[in-house]
Amino acid sequence: MPVISPNVFASSASRVANDASAAVAAALREKVRRLERANSVQRRGRAAGVTLGIPAIDALLPEGGLLTGALHEIEAGSGPSGRVAPHDGAALGFAANLLGRFGPGTILWCRRASGGADAAPYAPALSSWFDPARLLMVTAARDEDLFWAMEEGLRCPGIAAVLGETRSVDPTAGRRLSLAAEKNGVPALLLRGQPASPQSVCATRWRIASAPSTSTPGLTDVGAARWRVELRRNRFGVPSVDEVPSWLLEWNDETHCLAVVPQALHGPAGARFEERLVG
Amino acid sequence: MDRLARVSKKDWSDRAAATVAWDDGCPRLVALNSHARAAGLRPRMRLADARALLPDLVTEAGEPQADLRLVEAIASWCDRYTPWVAIDPTGGAIAPEIETACSAGGFGGDAGLLLDVTGCTHLFGEGESGERALLADLVTRLARRDLSCRAAMADTAGAAWALARFAERQADLFCPARGQRDALASLPVEGLRLEAPILETFLKLGLRRIGDLYPMPRGPLVRRFGDQPVRRVDQALGRLDEPIEPRRLPPAFRTRLAFAEPIGRAEDIAAATSRLLAALCRQFEQAGVGARQLEIALYRVDGSVDRTSIGTSRPNRDNPKLMKLFEERLGQLDPGFGVELMILSAPEVEAWSGTQDALPDQESPGVASGVDGTIDLADRLALRLGAENVVRLLTRDSHLPERVQVPAPVSAKPAGEGAWRRIANLKNARPTRLLQRPELVEVTAFVPDDPPSVFRWRRHAHRIVRADGPERIADEWWRPRPDGSRPPATTLPPVRDYYRVEDDDGGRFWLFRDGPYQLAANGQPTARWFLHGFCA
Repeated sequence: MPVISPNVFASSASRVANDASAAVAAALREKVRRLERANSVQRRGRAAGVTLGIPAIDALLPEGGLLTGALHEIEAGSGPSGRVAPHDGAALGFAANLLGRFGPGTILWCRRASGGADAAPYAPALSSWFDPARLLMVTAARDEDLFWAMEEGLRCPGIAAVLGETRSVDPTAGRRLSLAAEKNGVPALLLRGQPASPQSVCATRWRIASAPSTSTPGLTDVGAARWRVELRRNRFGVPSVDEVPSWLLEWNDETHCLAVVPQALHGPAGARFEERLVG
Repeated sequence: MDRLARVSKKDWSDRAAATVAWDDGCPRLVALNSHARAAGLRPRMRLADARALLPDLVTEAGEPQADLRLVEAIASWCDRYTPWVAIDPTGGAIAPEIETACSAGGFGGDAGLLLDVTGCTHLFGEGESGERALLADLVTRLARRDLSCRAAMADTAGAAWALARFAERQADLFCPARGQRDALASLPVEGLRLEAPILETFLKLGLRRIGDLYPMPRGPLVRRFGDQPVRRVDQALGRLDEPIEPRRLPPAFRTRLAFAEPIGRAEDIAAATSRLLAALCRQFEQAGVGARQLEIALYRVDGSVDRTSIGTSRPNRDNPKLMKLFEERLGQLDPGFGVELMILSAPEVEAWSGTQDALPDQESPGVASGVDGTIDLADRLALRLGAENVVRLLTRDSHLPERVQVPAPVSAKPAGEGAWRRIANLKNARPTRLLQRPELVEVTAFVPDDPPSVFRWRRHAHRIVRADGPERIADEWWRPRPDGSRPPATTLPPVRDYYRVEDDDGGRFWLFRDGPYQLAANGQPTARWFLHGFCA
C-alpha cells in the first residue's frame, strides 16, 4: 500500500542538482499544460489548482491540487466486504470537503427529485466543511434539467463550485459539463451513489468507501470518520507507481483536518501495536 | 347563439333558430337569432308556444358551459381595448363612467360584457370621434369572427346596458357625453335591470318607458317598490356611482404595441418584447419600483390570446436581465397566424431597493454585490424548474433534527455568518444525509436497553461493531401539534434516543429508538427502532 509516489523525491532531487535544467523542465511543463487545456481560462485571483492539504495526494495531481476548471467525479465504492454500501455518506463527506476548498462564492448543489425515501444532504453536518448559507439547492425532475442547471451555474460568475448528484452520466452531458467548467474556470463535481461505468471526460475520478474507524482503546465507540479513497483516474496528473493509488484518510471533526492515516497504525500490525499501547 | 352558428353544419343564417334548455318544468327558449326575434319569439318562452307561432323553428340544446367559455374568450380578447373588462352578471350591478356593453350571443342569449374605456379612447382618435371609432372597431372586429353583437357607449354602465339591449335605431347606440337622460327616456323599463316582480307591476301600472319614471315623486316610489327602481335610474343617469369589478385586476404598469401588419417570426416578437420592456422599465424608473412579475400577452389575428409570465426573486428593472428571462419563455408562445397586438404588463411590483444583494459571500472583495449574478441565476433556474425547486437553507432553532433545516426561497434573508456552525457545535455528530422519513428497522440486541448488535434495513443485516450514544431528543412540548392542540402538561413528551453506529463494513448510520424500552402487556417491546441518516 504505497502512499507517496517516488516522483516527488525525483523532482526535488533534480531541482537541487541543477537549477537551469529545472527551469527548462518547468517551462516545458507549463507549455504542455497550455497545449493540453487550450480552452481553459483562469478566473482572476483564483488558483489553477486547489490543494487538498494532503501532500501525498497533491503530489500526484496537476498544479499541485484539484484543477478548478475541470470536471471531477466522486463515486461511492465498496467496503472491505466487497459490498457497495447502500448509501454514500462517506462520498458525500469527501465531496463536501472538496467543495469547501473551492471558494469564495455560492455553491450550487443540484439533485434529482426522489419521493418519500429521499435522503437529502444535511446542512449541520456539511457545516464542518463549508458554511451552508453559501448553498443554493436545486431539485430537478429530469436528468436533462439537472445537467442544464449545472451548466447554467458553471457560466455564472458568482458561483464557486457546482455539484450534481446523479446515478449516471451520459458521455455527451459529461463532455458538455467538462467544457463549460474549462471555459469558465469553475469546478464541476459529480457525486454518484453507486460505481458506474467509467466515463473518460473527467479530470479526476475518485472512489470513496467508508472504512472502519478506530474506537478509543477499551471502548466500542465510533471514532473519527475514515474513508478509503481511490484515485481511479488522474488526467493531466503525475503517473503513479500503482495502477490505482489509494489512501486511508481520516477526518478529524475537531481540528477540521483531513489526513492520511499513518501506515503503521492500520492493518493487522497496527492493531497489534495499539494493543501493546493499551497493555 | 353565435357559438352554435359557428359550430353547426345547419344553415341558420336565414332561418329562425333558438337554443333550448329545460327550465321550470318544461323546455324553454334560451337564445334566439334575429329571425326568431323578428317572428315574435322571446327568451324564456315555452318551446311548445314557440312552435305554435313558428312551426319551422330550428332548435338545438343549449350548452351553458361552452357559452361561458366563449364569453370568457371574448372578454379576454376585449383586453385589447381596456384592462377593465367585466362579464355582466346577468341583470346584476355594473360600471362607472364611459363604458361599452357588448351583448354577445349565447350565455342565456343575453350575455354582456362591460368595458370601462375611460382614458382608452384617445388611441382611436380625439374626443368623441375616438369613442365612436373604438365602438365601430369593436363591432367590425367581432363581426369578422361571425359574432353578432350590439355595442353601445354611454357615460354610465346602466345607460350603456339599456342602450345595447333596447335601442331601436343604430344611431342611438352611441350616447354622447351627458346625453343619457334623453337617450333613455324612450326605452322600455326593462332596460333598468329591475327584478321581475317590480317589472311586472310597473307594466301593469302603465309605466312602460324609463322616461315615465323621471317625473314620479321619489318618496312614494321607494315606499312602494323599495329603493331598487330609484337606485337604478340614478345609476343609469350618473347620479349614483356604480362600481364595476374587472375580470382581471388591471396592472398598474402596462405598455402596448400594435402592429400595422401581423407579425409571426420569433425574432420580431423578441424585438417587440425588447421595445415594450424598455418602455416599461422607464415607467418603473419614474415610479421608483421594480417588477416581481411580468406578463406578456400576444393578441393573435384569429382573436385568441396567448399569455406567458416571468417572475423574479427581487424587484428588478434591469432591461437586459429581464429580457434574458423572457427569452426562455418566448419560445413557448405560439404566434398562430400572426400577432397584431402585444401588451406587456407588470401585475406585481415592489419598491425598488436600489441595490441587489448577492448571496452571502462577503469575504470576497472581488465579487461585489449585485454583479455576481447569483440572483439572476436563481431566477433563471426557478423559471424552468419551478420556484419551489430552487431554494437555500435556513436554520431554525429546534432540537428535532428534521426541523433544523428549512428550505426558503432565494429572496429570503440568508442565514447569518456562521449560524450553521453554531448550531452544529451545539449538537453531537450529525449525519451527512438525513432521510426525509425515518425508516423502520428490525433490531436484535443482547441487552434490551443497549444499542442493537444487528439491525436489518432494506432486507440486509448490518452487524454493529461500534456505537455512540444515546443522545436523547425530546419532543418540543411548547410547540402546538400539527392539529393545533397543545400536548397535555401532565404527560412526558415522547422522546427519541439517537445512536451513531458503525457496522462491520465501515458504514456509519444514525439510528434512534422512539421511546424508552418497555414491555407491553403482550410481552413485546413497545419501542421501535428507526434509521434516520447516514454519517460520513
